[in-house]
Amino acid sequence: MHREQFENALFRAGYLAILVFMLLPLAVVVVTSFAESGNLAFPPESYSLVHYRAFFEQTRWLSAFDNSLLVGVGTTIVATTLGVTAAFGHEIDDGRAGQVLAPLVLVPLLIPPIILGISMRVYFVRAGLEASYLSIVLAHTLWATPLVYFVMRSVFSRFDWQLLDAAKDLGAGPIRSFVYAVLPNVKHGIFVGALLAFIISLQEFVMALFLSSRSTETIPVVAWTQIRQSLDPMVSVVSTFLIVISLIAIVIATIATNLDWLSKQLS
Amino acid sequence: MSEITLSGLEKRYGDTLAVEDVSVTIDDGELLCLLGPSGSGKSTTLRMLAGLETPTDGEIHIGDEDVTDRPAYERTTATVFQDWALFPHKTVLENVAFGLKMQGTGKDERRERAKEMLERVRMGEYADDDPMNLSGGQKQRVALARALAVNPDVLLLDEPLSNLDKRLSEDMQIELREIHEELEETFVHVTHDQDEAFTLADRIGIMADGSLVQVGEPNEVYENPKNRFIEAFLGDTNFVAGEVERTTAESVHVETELGREVVLPRTGDADDADALTEGESVALSLRPEVLSIEPADAATSDGESDRTQPVRTDGDTTNAVVGTVENVLYRGSTIRYSVAVEDTSVFVERTVADSGAFDAGDEIRISWDGADVLAFRDDGSRVDL
Repeated sequence: MHREQFENALFRAGYLAILVFMLLPLAVVVVTSFAESGNLAFPPESYSLVHYRAFFEQTRWLSAFDNSLLVGVGTTIVATTLGVTAAFGHEIDDGRAGQVLAPLVLVPLLIPPIILGISMRVYFVRAGLEASYLSIVLAHTLWATPLVYFVMRSVFSRFDWQLLDAAKDLGAGPIRSFVYAVLPNVKHGIFVGALLAFIISLQEFVMALFLSSRSTETIPVVAWTQIRQSLDPMVSVVSTFLIVISLIAIVIATIATNLDWLSKQLS
Repeated sequence: MSEITLSGLEKRYGDTLAVEDVSVTIDDGELLCLLGPSGSGKSTTLRMLAGLETPTDGEIHIGDEDVTDRPAYERTTATVFQDWALFPHKTVLENVAFGLKMQGTGKDERRERAKEMLERVRMGEYADDDPMNLSGGQKQRVALARALAVNPDVLLLDEPLSNLDKRLSEDMQIELREIHEELEETFVHVTHDQDEAFTLADRIGIMADGSLVQVGEPNEVYENPKNRFIEAFLGDTNFVAGEVERTTAESVHVETELGREVVLPRTGDADDADALTEGESVALSLRPEVLSIEPADAATSDGESDRTQPVRTDGDTTNAVVGTVENVLYRGSTIRYSVAVEDTSVFVERTVADSGAFDAGDEIRISWDGADVLAFRDDGSRVDL
């Protein structure tokens, strides 16, 4: 074996070991969800679907799923709209406002979420939005928008802006030129940004804890309150569902972003 | 009518003045080339014509209409961009049909017209191809078809040939010229390539540092440049520094760094106010095509002595210097000699077909007619002789 091949093999083996080591807890979570007993122990003594049945009987978990989905979709729509238009605007007019914008949108990511959570709770109570879905959506948007913005900045930096000029030159107004010339070329980037926003919202816990009530609580909030009472396999069941949802999202993302490529390969 | 008038056009980016006081009238059906080095403001001027940039000051009229504040999508101009800017997610045919789609033309009609335009640029068989798979020359044709498909009053071309290799670019120049003659539409073509401008243009507008320095027919700007910048930009030349020694009614005598007095005939164009005064420093432009060369000692080399001499309008204005060949540069069809004359060096050219090549170290005699020499003042302005 050549030295280079040996080094490559060694690197791959090391990389794989780290990956497995880090992903192992996920396997533990999935396995414990199938435990029969009420205690969270690994490995379980016996296996059953008893906790899955219990999950579908508990309305609190089911409504938390609905809440998380609702807040996630809301955050995705608002953050993607704001992030895409901000990055687009920055690209079109690189003036003084744009130079201030980039560091400014980063600020929410730098403030500890607990501070944001408390201050927003105070603020939303004043605004009469206490414990509403909207308050959680807005809080998550504060985090998700910068991420969408930076994804789109990078996407737009690779976009050939002459295409926008060409569309305008051929008679397309501001909206049609965006729809016909820009959108088809950046849609994958927008999709990735939107997915990122959804995942941020799905897993955010601290702000949701401060801003939700019993009727609007999201999955991480319910998981937290449950674990505080008792460490039972129900948490593993919920986690397993979250893992499956994330995997499905990734598969969808992969298919969606490569669909054009795929169709070209097949034709 | 699609006569274009630019008056006092100006474009500023912050403190940078990109285009300054450009005024010109482009006749209906004319092909005007805006020629200038990069950064001279020619592309910015074109983009203002297209409506893709808003002028800071000045007005643009197309036909009888003031279009200064009209956005690109409401103008009857169409542009061929430097990198062609074909929509990568559309087929060649969809690209060409795009403008018609925006105009609201029905699907069948626009497809038919797009096909027609593609046939015209000999790209008909590529209608269903992905434009990204085309070669540079093919993309260029598609971009041209796309711009022509909307039947614009004015076609704007922003260095569309600069990304093509020399041969292809020259073929396209001829094709563009043919299309222009066929359509009789107004074309404004931006380029930094003077050969391209001379081939294509009805008139050339030369831009430098944001200003339109001179507008005229190709031979006019070449033979009668307004200043030293244009003389230097339009082809290679030797600038020789000198000082006016004396002026007479018929001629101006300039003591030059060639170590010899150069005599320039006076044409009588000069006003008394413009006239050169004794002691004034000037730069003389000696283009290689007006310089004749022969061996310094013509008698020693048979057949060279009867070489054609430049046309002499007046025996008094023939000038000659002797120098030593320093360098021989083969440039394909021509050979360029760098010749040391006194403290300076002058380059001369002859075609490969000419007999009797010289080698480094040879003494040669360079002669020219003073009437073919242009003189420029220190500030770059041309001297009327």
